[in-house]
Amino acid sequence: MSSFELLAISPQLIISLAIVLQMLLIAFKRSTRLIQSFTFICILLAIASSVFSLPALNSQITLLFYLDGFSFSIVNTILFCSAMVVLVSGNYLTISHEVHDEYYLLVMLVTLGALILSISDHFASVFLGLELLSIAVIGLVGYLRDRRQTLEASFKYLILSATASSILLLGMAMLYAYSGDMSFTYIEANLDNSTANSKLFAQAGSILLLVGIAFKLSLAPFHFWTPDVYQGAPAPVTMLLATVSKIAMFSVLIKFWFLSEQFLDQVMLTIISLIAVASMLVGNLLALKQNNIKRLLAYSSIAHMGYLLIILPVLSTSSIEFAKQSVLFYLTAYAVATLILFTFIAETSKSNSSSDLDNWHNWQGLFWLSPIQASAIILALLSLAGIPLSMGFIGKFYLITSALTNQSWLLLASLVVGSSIGLYYYLRIIFIMFAKHIPNGANAYDLSINSSLSHILLFSLTMILLAFGIYPDIYIFL
Amino acid sequence: MSQIPLNHVFIFAIILFVIGFIGVIARRNTLFMLMSLEVMLNAVGLAFIGAGSAWVEADGQVMFILILTLAAAEVAVGLALLIRLQQQRQCLDIDALNELRE
Repeated sequence: MSSFELLAISPQLIISLAIVLQMLLIAFKRSTRLIQSFTFICILLAIASSVFSLPALNSQITLLFYLDGFSFSIVNTILFCSAMVVLVSGNYLTISHEVHDEYYLLVMLVTLGALILSISDHFASVFLGLELLSIAVIGLVGYLRDRRQTLEASFKYLILSATASSILLLGMAMLYAYSGDMSFTYIEANLDNSTANSKLFAQAGSILLLVGIAFKLSLAPFHFWTPDVYQGAPAPVTMLLATVSKIAMFSVLIKFWFLSEQFLDQVMLTIISLIAVASMLVGNLLALKQNNIKRLLAYSSIAHMGYLLIILPVLSTSSIEFAKQSVLFYLTAYAVATLILFTFIAETSKSNSSSDLDNWHNWQGLFWLSPIQASAIILALLSLAGIPLSMGFIGKFYLITSALTNQSWLLLASLVVGSSIGLYYYLRIIFIMFAKHIPNGANAYDLSINSSLSHILLFSLTMILLAFGIYPDIYIFL
Repeated sequence: MSQIPLNHVFIFAIILFVIGFIGVIARRNTLFMLMSLEVMLNAVGLAFIGAGSAWVEADGQVMFILILTLAAAEVAVGLALLIRLQQQRQCLDIDALNELRE
């Protein structure tokens, strides 16, 4: 490897080095505060080092990786989200007397897996990144072992994610067998379409690969694990799962779809449209009757991933760039709004209680209790719903423009229907927050946040949401 | 020695895979579910080796080694969770894990 290539993957290298140093640090001195600040500084360093990968944009780095502008932005978004998770985890975990240094180790492993996924261009690197991510997530989901529900959540995630991985691998094996290449860019070019038999296998391989990715993205009809895992996992872990893992998986889907030119295939187009419509409707309809905020956000994430699929059916190769841009903007909007909501849930919950404070009756009258935090949450919810002056609105605007240029009317119709159903349950939470606060003995939860750090976090995340909502142009400059 | 056709390898791998998949779905004992997962992963490994030998490349075997590593890591995490399950619920039945509802 040349120094040019090494510099290009410097964020990944710094995170890998940080993981080794973390283990040495644990051996040296066990302190939750120390390892938390160390992890945070390493993530900041990785963000700063991504400058070095700028000259290497649009180049192949060994056989395994390909770096372009899209993956560069994805890398930075992932690092930003993990930095937030590390900051939020501090207060959540310090309640108990245990030293939580493995926790930060696992968070870094998840980040590394996601970073590898976002630049990978080869089956082997996709596979490695994916497994690094999911096995560390299984550990994180079951991290608080005193809680009864974490065991259930992590077991379900283990079984389903392992099944999904093997389905994905079978698809890879089929594609490899009939194309002789494992790199996304060359699969389609080398596919052997001479006989009906090999064509059938290659088609089946693409479908299986798509199913595996859909599992990880929790798209309907492969979404059954999502609500349980979201609810059972500790709040900062759910935050990690909802942002980092989703963003990384979506970038894999984008690469698989556009680089290996799956969008030219009529069968794949039909399947992706069906999945998209199903996710939008199932996610939104099931969210209607949820009383648990984490479960509700799980269903809404299913719907949001469904919305994002709208950019996949492109008519001409010229609209691919716009599609990627829309994905980036929408994913960032979704991630920021999710970060705000989970920051609040994590700050008000404690790791030594039997579950997080995620029943929505806990949020009753929140606005009268702490108006500033409530306003941040309201803005995040409105952004998820796609109301003007928030980042989510511009994101949805991108998606609709993309759907219009590619004339996917069915998807557009279900986006509109889905968003209007979505508005109902987002507004329902907002109404609850404006309801009269009833401080009765048993239900008197302490919903005030007393750490100044989380105030700053909530405030700055909200500012990002507003700034991009009002002046979306600044995103172009970034 | 006559070459085994690639399609036959794949049909065999798919049969193994389906057996493992049915095991994961139908079995209620979590230990057997973990074993069925292994069957699925090994079926995929077989498919990769078949594909690699058809192209006379080492790539298929490299993927197989990666899959073996994954299987080991996954089973390690799985067995740890299994022990926790036994301690917490005194049974290995997956149906005992049904508390997460709205």
